[in-house]
Formats: sequence, structure tokens, C-alpha cells
Amino acid sequence: MKYKSFISVKDIALIGMMTATIEVAKDTLAFLPNIELVTLLIVLYTLFFGKRILFAIPAFVLLQGLLYGFGLWWIMYLYVWPLLALLTFLFRKQTSLLFWSAFCGLYGLFFGALCSLPYIILSGPAAALAWWVAGIPFDIVHCISNTVLCFVLFKPLHLALGKLKNAWF
Amino acid sequence: MAQKQTGKSGKKGLIAVLILVALIALFAVIYTVMSPSASEGSKALTIEVIDNEGVTTSYSIKTDAEYLRQAMDETEGLTYDGTESDYGMYVETVNGITADYNTDGAYWAFYVDGEYCNYGIDSQPVNDGEVYTIEYTVYSY
Repeated sequence: MKYKSFISVKDIALIGMMTATIEVAKDTLAFLPNIELVTLLIVLYTLFFGKRILFAIPAFVLLQGLLYGFGLWWIMYLYVWPLLALLTFLFRKQTSLLFWSAFCGLYGLFFGALCSLPYIILSGPAAALAWWVAGIPFDIVHCISNTVLCFVLFKPLHLALGKLKNAWF
Repeated sequence: MAQKQTGKSGKKGLIAVLILVALIALFAVIYTVMSPSASEGSKALTIEVIDNEGVTTSYSIKTDAEYLRQAMDETEGLTYDGTESDYGMYVETVNGITADYNTDGAYWAFYVDGEYCNYGIDSQPVNDGEVYTIEYTVYSY
């Protein structure tokens, strides 16, 4: 009897590649505060490979935990990156470079607010608000860097991924 | 996908950029209004240290310090040390007593008028009449 696979061998290889590239992009730029390519890569991978990103993100988050320890920030990663994929999926029909640059920028701008959510439970709303406000300058840096990186890299990466997808899928 | 931009999607992109710029400005205003600020002038403060045996040592000072670290520097008899980080100093030793979180979960907890301090000593503003408590605390699992 033949069973139809839920996920193909090609999918598994692709998920591995997505996880590896996100991980390498994250760690390569880790020395620059709030300048990262993870947002852009997750956006592009979601646009091109849809649900497969839902396997790559947990693998990436688990790797981050194993490398740096399972602290509070790790809890934030559990929902921040899947939420980014979900929002990307909802806006997947958008075709404007400006839109995606602004989208990545907005995600950077709200990153601190999203990460402050566990503090509402742990320390109360006042502490969460103080934590978020104290980090706003970092969020603005995150926003500008995400916008610029997306504006510069979205098209070439989009082209490369388009070629890759046509060749393999 | 992004290569073919129609007039409609280009317009949406422009709107998205405008929203982004407006939100950056809004966040900058929120930060300016809500970030910790200190009042200037002469302030009378009390700093209490509760050590690992529960013994309280109280210091009263008058200072023009804007932030707690400066006030602690000016407090005669109070000594402290710690590790510098991007967020300011993480205080590990007060009056010669070291709280080592890695060994037994001990740390120096900071309170302002009995409320847990939301900022580090480098960014905690000091105001006239406030009582700062530095308490040796062991985190219980």
C-alpha cells in the first residue's frame, strides 16, 4: 500500500536550508544591535514556500535556545517569529517593494512591544510598559535597519528564490 | 511578485511607508514623554541596605544627583561594585557583601518607596523624599 507523504524529501531538504540560512544570518549579524536579516528571510521564505516555514521557524528557535540558553527571550521567540510568518501570509498578495520594506520596518518598530508581553504576566503592566519605553530607541534602530535592508535586498533575494523555486519545485 | 508593481500596489506601498514614518515619530514622542526623567535641585534621600542577615543600615543624604548611581556614589559609608553592561551596572556587591545569583540565586533587589525598581541604577531617577531600599534577596525556585 502506498501512503501519500505529508511532507516530501525535497520539503525536508528545503526546511533544513531555510533553518540554516536563518541561523547563519542571525549569528553573523549578532554583533550589531538590532540589525538583522531574520525578518527579511522569514518574510521571503513565507512568500515563496508557504507552510514549510512553519517547520523552519521552530527548528531555528530551538537552535537559538540550544546555542544561547532557554531564557525569557526564548519564550518571546516562540511567538514573535511565527506571528511574522502569519502576518506575511495574510499580506502575501502585496507586490510593492515599498510595502514590504515598510512591513519589515513596522515589525522592527513593534518588536520591543511584542517582546514586552511576558512582562505583563511576570511583573505587571507598569513594568512591561517601562521595559518597552526604555527600549524604544533600539526599536527605532531595528525599524530603520529592517526597512533599509529589505529595500536593498528584497528584489535580488526575490529573484534568486524565484529561480530556485522554478528549478526545484 | 515584487518585480511587477501596479499603480494600486505602489500606492499601498506609499501608504505603508507614510504609516511607518508617522509611527516612528509617535514612538519617539512616547519615549520623550514617558522615559525616566529626573528633577534637578537639592534632594533629601534615604538609602537603606538590608544585608544577607537581615540587618538594615540606613543612610540619609542630600544630593543634586539625577540618577541613583550618582546618589550612591555620594553616600558616605556605602560601597558597591558590579558588572558594567549596555544597560548600566548590574550591582553584585554592596558594603562588601556579594550576591552571586549563579551560586544560590542571590541578588541585590532595588526598591523605590517599597515598589520594585523598574530601572537599573544608571537610569533610575532620584526625587526628593524618596526611600531607596537595596535588599539582599535569594530567589527561591
